[in-house]
Amino acid sequence: MTSRTVFFNIVRFFFLILLQVLILNHVNLGGYVNPLFYVYFILLLPFSVSRGIMLISSFLLGLGVDIFTNTIGLNAASCVIMAFARPFVINSISSGPETLIGDTPSLKNQGIKWFLYYTIILVLIHHTFLFFLEIFRFIEFFKTLLRIGLSSAFTITLILISEYVFIFRQK
Amino acid sequence: MRNLFIFLREQYFYFLFLILELASLILFFNYNDFQGSSLFNVANAFSGSVNNVFNGISEYFTLKKTNRVLIEEMAKLHSRIPEAFYQSDQNVFYKKDTVVRLEYKYISAKVISNSTNKRNNFLMINKGALHGIENHMGVIIGNKLVGQVVGVSPHFSWIMSMLNKDSHVSGKFKKNDQLVNVEWPGGNYRKGQVREIPKHIVMVRGDTIITSGNSNIFPEGLLIGTIDDFSIAPDENFNTGRILFSTDFNSLGYVEVVVDLMRKEKEELKKSFKSE
Repeated sequence: MTSRTVFFNIVRFFFLILLQVLILNHVNLGGYVNPLFYVYFILLLPFSVSRGIMLISSFLLGLGVDIFTNTIGLNAASCVIMAFARPFVINSISSGPETLIGDTPSLKNQGIKWFLYYTIILVLIHHTFLFFLEIFRFIEFFKTLLRIGLSSAFTITLILISEYVFIFRQK
Repeated sequence: MRNLFIFLREQYFYFLFLILELASLILFFNYNDFQGSSLFNVANAFSGSVNNVFNGISEYFTLKKTNRVLIEEMAKLHSRIPEAFYQSDQNVFYKKDTVVRLEYKYISAKVISNSTNKRNNFLMINKGALHGIENHMGVIIGNKLVGQVVGVSPHFSWIMSMLNKDSHVSGKFKKNDQLVNVEWPGGNYRKGQVREIPKHIVMVRGDTIITSGNSNIFPEGLLIGTIDDFSIAPDENFNTGRILFSTDFNSLGYVEVVVDLMRKEKEELKKSFKSE
């Protein structure tokens, strides 16, 4: 992990928090969609990052978003779960060490299939935990499922668009 | 002891995960019931000032709309002046200066953050304790209801919007004063739910629901919305209906905080009765 990677990740950390709280939290489509694009930070952490740093930075990321939405602990708890699951997801979907080309997970290096599995599983873990914790009861079960589905779809679409924009720019 | 340390070092990922997860959950469950949110004044003030800067920029894009809202507000204020006064029966009081006394005072404030897409929505406004705002004051826009104050810092206030699972507003039918409860079931931010409508009330679509004034938070007679749809449940004690909110929660520019100048008197009266 070079100091350049560290620098990029720190910039990404603050940029994504600001993008989330200043713009994306105001996106509203039909009352059900709340894209949580900031989790892109956790997805893009290098493969070689120490697991402890991954957990702590995810915790701080969630807490950063929480401070602005006055839901202290909600996003933090969801991010920590997601960061905890990340190594296991990577292990279970990678067929061998040769799939882990490059240090940062990306659509370009790992291929569309790998990246889709990776993004969908982790985003669903995060969103499911967050929306159920937010409501914390089961009487609105199907409504909450709808919120999870629509918001995840929106978040995943935003992540894929950013990946494609990145590939396009590099060519 | 040494073995314990080795064990901890090998399994630190799991322990760190447990510690961070527990810390987040403890924070979440301790500081997120809406009485507790005033504890986060520091976070509130920080995020408030960032939101303030961003709002200063985005404000220019909505100037036209803001102007329109302000003109509407002014017209409404003019028409409301007599209603802001508490009028008591002249036959009971003979002292002239108790006949008419100001009961409600209104503080205008700008909304600097707002959401409608969550299950529990909140607003932040740019006035706080220094301007005389306290917990549990009502917040309105024109003669329409917005929410109530649940947290105050010196310069900002945190407001629980009507669009929240903890919001239960006491309303009544304008046509016959029958009391009902209004809630928001989530989903569409224009539609709410009216509960506990007595069986004998004949409803039609378009019936107006206004605040009852029973809760000491909102004055009587503020618009909540109109009945949009209703269902008759034969095997239950009450009917429920769907309400179309009069307030457009997605376009709140300036709101007003209602200060009930006689709240203390009302609460003391209640308390004195309870303690006996």
